[in-house]
Amino acid sequence: MSLFSWLRPVNPILPGELQQRLERLPAVAELGDCSLREQRWVVLDLETTGLNLNKDRLLSIGAVVIEDGAIDFSQQFERTLQCTELKLGPSVLIHGLGPSAIAAGSDPAQALLEFMEFVGDSPVLAFHAPFDQHMLGRALKEHLGYKLQHPFLDVADIAPLLCPQAHFREAGLDEWIDWFKLEVFERHNASADALATAELVLILFSRARQQQIHSPLNLQQRLSQWKRRRQAPSF
Amino acid sequence: MVMSKADAFTQAGKTAVLQNIQGTLQFLQRFPPFNQMENAHLAYLVEQCQLRFYAPGESIIKPADGPVEHFYIVKQGRVVGERPHTAKGGTETTFEITTGECFPLAALLGERATRTEHLAAEDTFCLQLNKLAFIKLFALSSPFRDFALRGVSSLLDQVNQQVQQKAVETLGTQYSLNTRLGELAMRHPVTCSPITPLREAVTLMHDQQVGSIVVVDEQKAPLGIFTLRDLRHVVANGTSDFNEAIEGHMTRAPFYLTPDHSAFDAAIAMTERHIAHVCLVKDQRLCGVVSERDLFSLQRVDLVHLARTIRSAQKLENLVAMRGEIGQLVERMLAHGASSTQITHIITLLNDHTVCRVIELVLAEKGDPGVPFSWLCFGSEGRREQTLHTDQDNGILFEARDAAHAAEIRGKLLPIAQQINQNLALCGFTLCKGNIMAGNPELCLSRAEWARRFAAFIREATPENLLGSSIYFDLRVVWGDERGCEQLRQGILDQVGDNRLFQRMMAENALRNRPPVGRFREFVLARKNGEKATLDLKLQGLTPFVDGARVLALAHGIDTNNTLERFRQLVDKEVIERLDGAAYEEAYHFIQQTRMQQHQLQTRENLPYSNRVDPDSLNHLDRRILRESLRQAQRLQSSLTLRYQL
Repeated sequence: MSLFSWLRPVNPILPGELQQRLERLPAVAELGDCSLREQRWVVLDLETTGLNLNKDRLLSIGAVVIEDGAIDFSQQFERTLQCTELKLGPSVLIHGLGPSAIAAGSDPAQALLEFMEFVGDSPVLAFHAPFDQHMLGRALKEHLGYKLQHPFLDVADIAPLLCPQAHFREAGLDEWIDWFKLEVFERHNASADALATAELVLILFSRARQQQIHSPLNLQQRLSQWKRRRQAPSF
Repeated sequence: MVMSKADAFTQAGKTAVLQNIQGTLQFLQRFPPFNQMENAHLAYLVEQCQLRFYAPGESIIKPADGPVEHFYIVKQGRVVGERPHTAKGGTETTFEITTGECFPLAALLGERATRTEHLAAEDTFCLQLNKLAFIKLFALSSPFRDFALRGVSSLLDQVNQQVQQKAVETLGTQYSLNTRLGELAMRHPVTCSPITPLREAVTLMHDQQVGSIVVVDEQKAPLGIFTLRDLRHVVANGTSDFNEAIEGHMTRAPFYLTPDHSAFDAAIAMTERHIAHVCLVKDQRLCGVVSERDLFSLQRVDLVHLARTIRSAQKLENLVAMRGEIGQLVERMLAHGASSTQITHIITLLNDHTVCRVIELVLAEKGDPGVPFSWLCFGSEGRREQTLHTDQDNGILFEARDAAHAAEIRGKLLPIAQQINQNLALCGFTLCKGNIMAGNPELCLSRAEWARRFAAFIREATPENLLGSSIYFDLRVVWGDERGCEQLRQGILDQVGDNRLFQRMMAENALRNRPPVGRFREFVLARKNGEKATLDLKLQGLTPFVDGARVLALAHGIDTNNTLERFRQLVDKEVIERLDGAAYEEAYHFIQQTRMQQHQLQTRENLPYSNRVDPDSLNHLDRRILRESLRQAQRLQSSLTLRYQL
């Protein structure tokens, strides 16, 4: 045992089988120079007990995959996490998951590991991605002692970057769905939101190609330029 | 329900995984053939799908891609097919595909490249299924297979099922005019031998509570039929000896059909022949009797009764009153799932009866002119394609020695003809605005005069003459001797067959009414001062078929008038391909059916008759089929363009 081990945060102790699978998770890659179409993407939506980044908890994960430029229906992920200490709060009204559904959910460590296996080394897209990135990162740390390092791109940024003609201030997913006249199925769970976000992404990638953005790396660079310009004081 | 924890767990896991699959499943279930597929097959389809986006103008598949590798379903947006236009250069839009529709079936089944480039016309999402999964579904799911193989035809079947289903819902019965007669004739037929005494036969009828007895030989072959009507005759004639053999009083060689004929066939036979019983004969043995009561047990107004009442009406007022009953009959037939062809056939029959009776009544009233003549009809009446909403288009044909003789006969016939026209108007046959009526001296002609007139149409193809030929060349005799008319028709066929220029002009004329399906929208519609956009089912839908069939029929010596019959004979003569003929027939049929349903709806709502329909008022399936039907009209027109190099 290392002398300084007590200085590190306490890692959860996992059964051997989970530990082995955790160690086999692929290393995370930086965004590359391949084409947008060649890149496999995971589009994610989370449901949580609320919007507090430090206190609220992860309730369910919904994700779909964009591969070869299309949403692949054979690769979908949806789990509700078991959450014993949850008190029935007003957020039930927001996420719509009843206490019974949450009590019947999957073991969080198991579900999170399966999700990371599902993600593999793919970059992640989400609407308001920083929130999902943070909440998922916290849950992974807590249940698996795993450090989330995957690149996250925020669809709420990509949309106004590629469609400056839409004069939205702080537009939500619903506004963009309306703007593109997307006919989405009823959305009352994480995976339906993930699918709607993914359909939005398909349109945005098509626009990106028209605007000479061809690779994931390219897209990431244009996004950071755009964000810097927005934050720079205007004269 | 108590569920073990493990069960609940797997259950939750399953539904959770299926959320998006479920959404897509429900979306697809709004459209054929997916709404008929088993859930497991449909779920398999969805799980194997990829969802792709195409920006406007983006190519989805094109001929250069080689053999088609995917099956596509439009989830949102619009896909157009563009084919290079050989004659004009550029491209032409050959079809449009919208939400819930699939492509490219023919190329996929034929394992070849598509012949048409499929482009997104707007922001479009398609579900894309790989070929392996398509083949697996094709093997597993029979609704899917039927749909893939039969394309539009299977859609039409569904409409028919829909119509009948609706009828079943409202009437609570499975009765349909397409029912086999074998299924209708439940009872064992009551029979006797020819030497049976009358008294015994009538007792038998009385005991069995039937209206007819069939007289058969030892091999059960029908020799005659004896009905209650015959019994009335016997009594009225004062026959007192009821021990006489029935042989002497029966109607010999009774009319018969096979058990495989339809209820419609029997209804037509009864109407035409004024009989109330039809024997069913199989292998020369009697196996049943269908009475008009069996046929119309569910209908208050019956067809046969109606026909008979028309033919025996004693006053014009009786005929006028009968029009309302014909309307009710048509409504009931539509509700029973009768096809438009069956209905136009019956309306034509009843109208013919009415016309004949009106003529007979006028002759009785005004006295016989002493000159034989034939009553002709033209246009839709001539083609036997009348709906309830009908104009008079008629004329008179007679034989005369010379011009002076003709003028003399005309003088005698005109007052009668005018009276007939007026009386027909009272019976609901609207007076013709163009005065194409027998009371017009120009339409009350001798055979030589008609022949001269028709020859002039063919010789000088002025616009008026072309229009005239499209009305008069569908002529037919309703009342009187038919031989003169036969000769006239043969003359027309001979002259048109020889005159390529006239055929070409007629073909050109047949292109006047363009079906309103367009390049960029589902329908291209006329919008009159802010009113809702509508299309004219008759002019823009039926007329292209009617005109097209006429040109081809006259050019190829086909002497029938009915449009569908013309298509059939054109197929037999190999003028048009069998598949094309079937497609034209289905399309024509569907447009006519839609038109009649509109008319019935208008009657119910006390609106004036109109052939205009707002496609948005139709249900999804009907709208789609109407669009495909109009495209068939477009195809017929382009085949004329090609044939006559227009």
